[in-house]
Amino acid sequence: MTDFLARARHHAGFRIGAVLLLLFVGTALASLFWTPYPVDELQMRAKLLPSSAQHWLGTDHLGRDVLSRAQTSITVGLIAVALGMSAGVALGAWAAARGGWVDEALSRTSDLIFAFPAVLIAILITSVLGASARNAILAIAIFNVPVFARVTRGAALALWSRDFVRAATAMGRGPFGITLRHVLPNIMSVLIVQATIQFAVAILAEAGLSYLGLGAQPPVPSWGRMLRDAQTYIFQAPELALWPGLAVALAVLGLNMLGDGLRDLLDPRLRLMRVG
Amino acid sequence: MIDFLSRRLAAALLTLVLATVVVFAIVEVLPGDPALVMLGTDARPDTLAALRAQYGFDQPLTVRYLHWIGGLLSFDLGSSHAYGTPVAKLIGDRLAVTLPLGALALSWALLVAIPLGVFAAWKHGTASDWGVMGFTQIGISLPNFWFGIVLVLAFAVTWRIFPAGGFPGWRQDPVGSIHALILPALALSLGEIAILTRVTRSAMLDTLREDYVRTARAKGAPERTVLFGHALRNALIPVTTVAGLIAGFLIAGAVIIESVFRLPGVGQLVYDSINNRDLIVIKNVVILFTLLVLVVNLAVDLAYVALDPRPRVAA
Repeated sequence: MTDFLARARHHAGFRIGAVLLLLFVGTALASLFWTPYPVDELQMRAKLLPSSAQHWLGTDHLGRDVLSRAQTSITVGLIAVALGMSAGVALGAWAAARGGWVDEALSRTSDLIFAFPAVLIAILITSVLGASARNAILAIAIFNVPVFARVTRGAALALWSRDFVRAATAMGRGPFGITLRHVLPNIMSVLIVQATIQFAVAILAEAGLSYLGLGAQPPVPSWGRMLRDAQTYIFQAPELALWPGLAVALAVLGLNMLGDGLRDLLDPRLRLMRVG
Repeated sequence: MIDFLSRRLAAALLTLVLATVVVFAIVEVLPGDPALVMLGTDARPDTLAALRAQYGFDQPLTVRYLHWIGGLLSFDLGSSHAYGTPVAKLIGDRLAVTLPLGALALSWALLVAIPLGVFAAWKHGTASDWGVMGFTQIGISLPNFWFGIVLVLAFAVTWRIFPAGGFPGWRQDPVGSIHALILPALALSLGEIAILTRVTRSAMLDTLREDYVRTARAKGAPERTVLFGHALRNALIPVTTVAGLIAGFLIAGAVIIESVFRLPGVGQLVYDSINNRDLIVIKNVVILFTLLVLVVNLAVDLAYVALDPRPRVAA
């Protein structure tokens, strides 16, 4: 661990990524207790203001403080990846442990899901189930399942042929016990790196969905919807279109750099999938 | 080679069939009553019944599914609930915008990414290489629709060189139509440029280490011939594969980009159909997109065989 931290301090990408991520997680957590202005406070006389000492990032078309609204909205991506990861890791570990038809069926199913453009199916799901933050989470989570299943299966299969796992089998441990005790702890670094990258992809997907009006519904603030609203007023208040996009870009950039950094630090041989 | 291609063709067909099952399940089984989704919960019972009869929602699932597949095979996709026009014509008209947009974005991406990737590999480990890699990191992280909005801010609001959105139509104004597609294509291609540059760079780094490249250099071949004539040709194989994969993302990305630039393409049609709850249009468009992705991937397999004459048996 100390060795990891020592090396991490010399990895520029990891450092920048970590700082950016801490910034976003910090402001998101802080927004639970405090925002410069109430998130939904309407001040019609103070609408479409540029940046100022009172409103650091200006105000939107309803006079709401942009900085206060930009603090939240990475939650959807976080929950979606957590859900997709739980299901995907379980399925991938199962496929690797069981082999045979279970493995075959799961691999073919994930191939099928990869054949669809992800955003399109997310749009399909949210349009049928109705637009809400919950359904956006569901749609994004579904696409994380095969990604994690594949990565887990590949990494776990390599472990199943290792001597210490064979020894555990010989000692009479069952596949479930071996998976929990030997396989999962050993592939944790792969999963952490993949989770970081997927979190970035999920933030982009959520922004796209809520831009189309298929994510969180008003008055809940989200970066994508803020961009949609800002575009309507692009000639009166061009600044409004910059901040939410910059927030998405910096959050995603931070996660990507953190993910690449973690990969270098934890295992330089890893090659991860990027599925957008 | 015939064996390889026929196997890929069979796999693609199987995927397409499964895709129709999945889309049918999401659109017609998942919501319970599709008529209720299309008309909303406050619809009157007799209008609901009329819609069910019109689209055959009152028939058993298998009959509805087979009817839809039969329609797909004969290009009879039914008619749109919101527009009242045949879905096939609706989609056909919109493709006239989306296909050129996608083609423009993909060619632009290849045109920028390949030289950039070759350059980064050639300058491997130098500041130029780091610069290019930094650019690709940013390109992957920017939401393309936001990049589109920024382009509008710069080129339409500030400098007024390009229109902020809209599409005049190919027949009315061909030049203006191309003009209207330039900013959207730029926005759409940003992420693809980043990914393709990375792939080109790493493929070039691999081929530049090969013996035949060293031989070419030892024989005194000019650097340009070594880079583009010897190394790039082999490096193009993975680039082609990824370019094909990316085509799927381009199509999906078009949904959002067309909405940003208010282009009357298939993406905009999907967006409008969601708002109109026009399930008939949505399910057919999704299948069409899937088909397009599969066709592009098959084309990539063909290009692959052309680029790499070694017989490829493993699917």
